[in-house]
Amino acid sequence: MTEENIIELREVSKTFGSYLAVDNLSLNVRRGEIVVLLGQTGAGKSTVLNLIMGTTCPNKGQIRVAGFDPYASFKALKGRLSVSFQTDRLLPWRTALENVELGLLILGRPKNEARRSAREWLGRVRLDGADNKYVHELSGGMRQRVSLARALAIDPEIIFLDESFSQLDHVTSKTLRGDFLQIAREFRKTCLLITHRIDDALEMADRALVLSPPARVALEVRIDDQARSSSRAMADLHAQIASAMGAERSTDH
Amino acid sequence: MSISAAAGQSRIQSGDAAKIAKPLAGFAGAWPNAESRRDIVATVVVVVLLLAAMEVTSRFVPDYIMPSPVAVWNAARELFFTDPYHVAVTLVRLAISVTIAMTVGVLIGLAMGMFTHLRAYLKAVVVIDTGIPALSWMLIAVFWFKNPEARIFFILLVILLPFYALNVYEGVRALPKELVDMIESFRPSRWQVLRYLILPHIVAYVFLTTKSVIGYAIRMVIFAELVASAIGIGARMNLAQSTFRIDQVLAWTFFLVILNVALQAFVNGLEKLFLKWRAEATVR
Repeated sequence: MTEENIIELREVSKTFGSYLAVDNLSLNVRRGEIVVLLGQTGAGKSTVLNLIMGTTCPNKGQIRVAGFDPYASFKALKGRLSVSFQTDRLLPWRTALENVELGLLILGRPKNEARRSAREWLGRVRLDGADNKYVHELSGGMRQRVSLARALAIDPEIIFLDESFSQLDHVTSKTLRGDFLQIAREFRKTCLLITHRIDDALEMADRALVLSPPARVALEVRIDDQARSSSRAMADLHAQIASAMGAERSTDH
Repeated sequence: MSISAAAGQSRIQSGDAAKIAKPLAGFAGAWPNAESRRDIVATVVVVVLLLAAMEVTSRFVPDYIMPSPVAVWNAARELFFTDPYHVAVTLVRLAISVTIAMTVGVLIGLAMGMFTHLRAYLKAVVVIDTGIPALSWMLIAVFWFKNPEARIFFILLVILLPFYALNVYEGVRALPKELVDMIESFRPSRWQVLRYLILPHIVAYVFLTTKSVIGYAIRMVIFAELVASAIGIGARMNLAQSTFRIDQVLAWTFFLVILNVALQAFVNGLEKLFLKWRAEATVR
């Protein structure tokens, strides 16, 4: 494992019974990089995320995350990773502020410090004034913002976003992606995004990896500012990714 | 300067008022809505009809079969001055027994939910307990314990405990997997999972169980006092029965019905206070 690779998978395979979910997958993510894993449903994206998170162990191969085996050294990565899920997964008995401070309290931060930090993060995701609102009093977009703030508040080295924007309407999703990108760049976070939406990848990623079942890298593309400034280059990338995903047309709306 | 100072003071006062008002909001929410008012009116109508039936029946049968409502009212007034100590004893026994049964039941339910290797054994103990009749426990308690208080607490504990244990176990099983995965992503200790996820989640189940068992608990404590104690409402009802004071038996009965309603309302108020985060769903 090289120093600059914060996530590294080498020839990793995972089976569930006789079903091969991940087949000899190798990939790496550099510190501060934003990488998107793209793929249709069943391509093995979530299994790859679970392997990297250490919630499941591979049958073959080696995984290193921040220098640790994430499954064998599960607790060693406490506070170094966080996840924003497809649904907000907020605790309904806690207010927005209390939800954001949850990770900080689990890390053992003093209550006052956790509260102050949580309030700052709510402000960063543009939810000033929503501190004391319960989950049922928040809109879907606001809940997802709280969820993002919760993931960011513990100041992790790596953030995983598992289809975090896919259940939101187009406008809210775009705004939230923009806000997240700004924060991720400002704080130089390493991000691994899982999505089936090509537009999300083109907008956010430094690099996109297209997975085809059973979780093989079918295509790897780099997306830099030069490509983003050219609509033709973006259209070409879109077509390449869509082709690799095996889609006749984009699933984006 | 003085204006801003006054404004500042006003803000502080309104903030304080909000702080004071917040804990009371749960009880304020317990104020009856239109449907509850209909229930209250229906209850009053039924009570009036029952009293009328008592009055009519009392004119055709001897007093020791059915006294008039006025006689029962007089007996109740008499008991109010002579027996408050017995009421207090019963209420304290009820409160302590329910609290102990709740605590032990919740601990057993949590252990059933969290420790897979213990689950089958604890479940077997609880299921066997639910199959033992209350009367058997009362007789066993008389054999096992000399102290009447120990008898009553033991009886209430073994009878109420399975309700709490099984419901809390169901609560732990009903934890949404999504929330478990979310909290696990922070790599918490077992204690932190319990504190931040499981305990707040089971509060609703504990309230549900308490509301379900409160009437049963009142009946059981009275029965236990009748069998195993010389003081308390059950013991006084036993005395009233042996001295042919059916007016007192009925007075105690009415009191127990009112006590049940009052305790249900109290638990409902506490539930609204503790579960204020829950959105009220209405099905049309």
